[in-house]
Amino acid sequence: MTVNGERHEADVEPRTTLVDFLRGTLGLTGTHVGCEHGVCGACTVLWNGKAVRSCIMLAVQADGAELKTVEGLADGPTLHPIQRAFLEKHGLQCGFCTPGFMISVYELLSRTSTPTDEEITDTLGGHICRCTGYQSIVEAVHVAVEKMRTK
Amino acid sequence: MSERDTGIPTSVAELPNSEPRYVGRPIDRLEDPALLTGRTQFIDDLVLPRMLHCAILRSPHAHATIVSVDTSEAEKLPGVVAVVTGEDAKRWSNPVMTVPPGWGTHCLATDKARFVGEPVAAVAAVSRYVAEDALELIAVEYEPLPAVADARKALDVGSPLVFEQNGDNVMLRKLFTWGDVDGAFAGATHVVQREFRWNRLGANPLETFGVVSQWDELEGTLTCRGSFQAQHHFAMARAMVFNLPLNKVRFIAHPHGGSFGGKGGARGTDITALLSRKAGGRPVKWIEDRMEYLAGGASQAWDRHYDAAVALDAQGKVLGFRVRLLDDLGATAEGWGAVSAAKPLTSFTGCYAIPAAQYDLTIVATNKLPGSPYRGMGPPPHNWVLEQLMDLAARELALDPAEIRRRNFIPPDAFPYTIASGNEYDSGDYAAALETALAMADYPALRAEQARLRAEGRYLGIGLVNTIEPGVFDWNAYAIVGQPGTGVPEGATVGIDLFGKLTIKVGFALEGQGQYTVAAQVLADWFKVDIADVRVIALDTLAAPPHFGPGGSRLGVAITGAVLGAARRLTDKLVAVAAGLFRTTPEHVELRDGRIGVKGMPEASMPFQEVAQTMLARSDLLPPGVDPNPEATYVWTAPGRTPADDQGRAKSYLTAANACHLVLVEVDVETAQVHIRKYWIADDCGTRLNPANVEGQTQGGVAQGVGAALLEEAVYDEDGQLRTSTFMDYLLPTIYEVPMTEKRALCTPSPFTPLGAKGCGEGAMHTTPAAILCAINDALVPLGLELREVPASPQRLWTLLQQGKAARR
Ligand code: FES
Ligand code: FES
Repeated sequence: MTVNGERHEADVEPRTTLVDFLRGTLGLTGTHVGCEHGVCGACTVLWNGKAVRSCIMLAVQADGAELKTVEGLADGPTLHPIQRAFLEKHGLQCGFCTPGFMISVYELLSRTSTPTDEEITDTLGGHICRCTGYQSIVEAVHVAVEKMRTK
Repeated sequence: MSERDTGIPTSVAELPNSEPRYVGRPIDRLEDPALLTGRTQFIDDLVLPRMLHCAILRSPHAHATIVSVDTSEAEKLPGVVAVVTGEDAKRWSNPVMTVPPGWGTHCLATDKARFVGEPVAAVAAVSRYVAEDALELIAVEYEPLPAVADARKALDVGSPLVFEQNGDNVMLRKLFTWGDVDGAFAGATHVVQREFRWNRLGANPLETFGVVSQWDELEGTLTCRGSFQAQHHFAMARAMVFNLPLNKVRFIAHPHGGSFGGKGGARGTDITALLSRKAGGRPVKWIEDRMEYLAGGASQAWDRHYDAAVALDAQGKVLGFRVRLLDDLGATAEGWGAVSAAKPLTSFTGCYAIPAAQYDLTIVATNKLPGSPYRGMGPPPHNWVLEQLMDLAARELALDPAEIRRRNFIPPDAFPYTIASGNEYDSGDYAAALETALAMADYPALRAEQARLRAEGRYLGIGLVNTIEPGVFDWNAYAIVGQPGTGVPEGATVGIDLFGKLTIKVGFALEGQGQYTVAAQVLADWFKVDIADVRVIALDTLAAPPHFGPGGSRLGVAITGAVLGAARRLTDKLVAVAAGLFRTTPEHVELRDGRIGVKGMPEASMPFQEVAQTMLARSDLLPPGVDPNPEATYVWTAPGRTPADDQGRAKSYLTAANACHLVLVEVDVETAQVHIRKYWIADDCGTRLNPANVEGQTQGGVAQGVGAALLEEAVYDEDGQLRTSTFMDYLLPTIYEVPMTEKRALCTPSPFTPLGAKGCGEGAMHTTPAAILCAINDALVPLGLELREVPASPQRLWTLLQQGKAARR
């Protein structure tokens, strides 16, 4: 598979989950585990361009796939506009849920540069943040939309 | 003693800087870039050489004698390195200390299991997968016992006993009377009395608890790395559990993914310590999974039955307030849940000048998960009871809910004000908060809209609630449940390096409130440097100055005090050196706008960095006898706290923040859905050190408050089986439930704290549940119904609505 543009090959036990593979085998620990049963969204990664929950996928299902994780968002030390927007709008507190949120927002903004409020709500609706509430996160998405447009 | 005596500024104007750039402004957080790029090292990200992974076998029974545990097959599985059971726990450790005392167990069940999810055995293996495989090979023979899962039944004679040797299930029973309560009730024109039920819910940070423990037999030391909220506190407890001197126990807290009171993880820490010992000192990692967290972690708090009453005169003045509380702490007192029953003393009578009050408290044990602290600790359910009674009283007297509150507020000129239960409030203007909220919402228009829609058969409700958020906790607030001690230290070390940059060393890891940023803001403004020139780092329990970390809405104020105190001390050292350089005496030298120089002679001054460099590199220039280390430590503790008297009265929490929440809900009487239509907040927590942080605490508190009011509930059946063991059945609020809010900030600075800030970290959790529940009951008035059980789940509300329909037929 390719992760953030880098090719990886490995033998895995069939039961290995995708998130365990990313975190444990590849050492890409930016993707987090909050529930391990598909509810919280903390483990969201991009799988062939689609946001998926890596805790309820097996690593073998990503054979040959193209993945993107939070580590693939920034360009060196330069934050991605979505990351900048979360920082500026205080869209995070403990930051544990944040990689998952940003990956879903990334997917949304790669589909459309003018998301409706409903699309934004539905994108965030699959994620749980226990610290921040959702108001600053919504504001961060609006700022991200602006930044991506003027980029 | 006040801050003034310590040289710690009580207002921003007192900083030695004519143009502070950071304090009081919404500053971008220093902690964010690492979090946003996935580089922050949470505990599960840590890998150590030869590290093993732990999995824990848990009791499926709520109450059962453990006849035997056979681990021989598990030990044979390739990859398994160590297995521990209650026998190992008995051999190598003590039961954990508890509050109240005498209700603790070992980290693994020994004679019997007392709740579903209690650890019985554990495995350390080369991977978590193998460790979990091994659990299936452990054979435990149980003899099930009758269980008790209901607090009232636990009081019955003949109830199953959680701890037989204690004789009954009562952990604590006490009656506190403050003032002439009997007289108040006897002389009242109105008495409003009701029973209320608050069901269990809890912290649920998105990251569960995790720990890596390492036992060194040769040195007799224990090192634990983990997502500890209060690392020093837990190190002390481990020293006692394992009979180790405290300096042989080293705790290293990692940043954690939220905590909200629940990141202690005593059992997990002790189990991994035992496993590491048995595995010859290899480090052992345990990351609690979500189902373990829900069944056996720090996930549950506030399991309460209330019987409460207010006595009023004809004008609606509250003369007396009585609360009888039956608090179900679950199987043991190990989770510090009892402090939640004690904390209401800090704000027992809320925002109101109620002269007499009574608290009749019973804490019982049942066969359920031990209770733990949760954001706000005791006041959130207590506030709901008090505020709901105020609403009911207003209805009885035909007063508007706003009006009855106005008539009872502690007036702004009465501060500092000591409430009946003994705590002192620092400052406030409650009427101003109320009027602000009413104006923001255009309250008369809301009431008109409510009446209009009511005529159409739609049920809108308005909740209007004022609360105190007690801030800056002190142990004395929990004296009534047996918690020893007065005072909580928070230290910081501030130093200047040879290149003139500043470092702050603290004893707590990040968990989301942004306190490193606050510390850096304060120091940057003290020395007038760019905030980028300040770095904040966390030290472990053996290296850091005395500390406690976050808890009790305390750390923002405490770390500000610690950093300013250390900056003051460091400045004194620089002044002593500079006085020598300028050939004058220290009283003529000062720090002003980042330069140290002779007072009134701007030309005789140098940047503070140069003085520090002189200390580090030019011993030939130093006056004799000075300390050449440009570093200083200060340990801050809340001034003026007092020991509790026999009725539990003490000056305990240092600050009293205040908020008024106004919420408009609509209850759909067909589906029993509650829809929050609008939400307004007027909030006063004194000086806002970083307004963005305060805003975050408020929003997060609203979200958790919505969960508490409408969704979250840990459900047990009568045999003590947990019915909510995943996030499919334990429901957390999402963006679909949490409203956007409109807020306004008020400020009555605290006269007692550094820079006038008040604790605000527990935030809206104090207010939101009460506001929403009062609003629901306001909506139900025309139906003649009252919901007095939390959460107001659709199921519960639907049942009530059906009962109402049946009664009206
Ligand atoms: S960890 Fe995958 S959805 Fe929660
Ligand atoms: S920032 Fe902590 S869970 Fe979202």
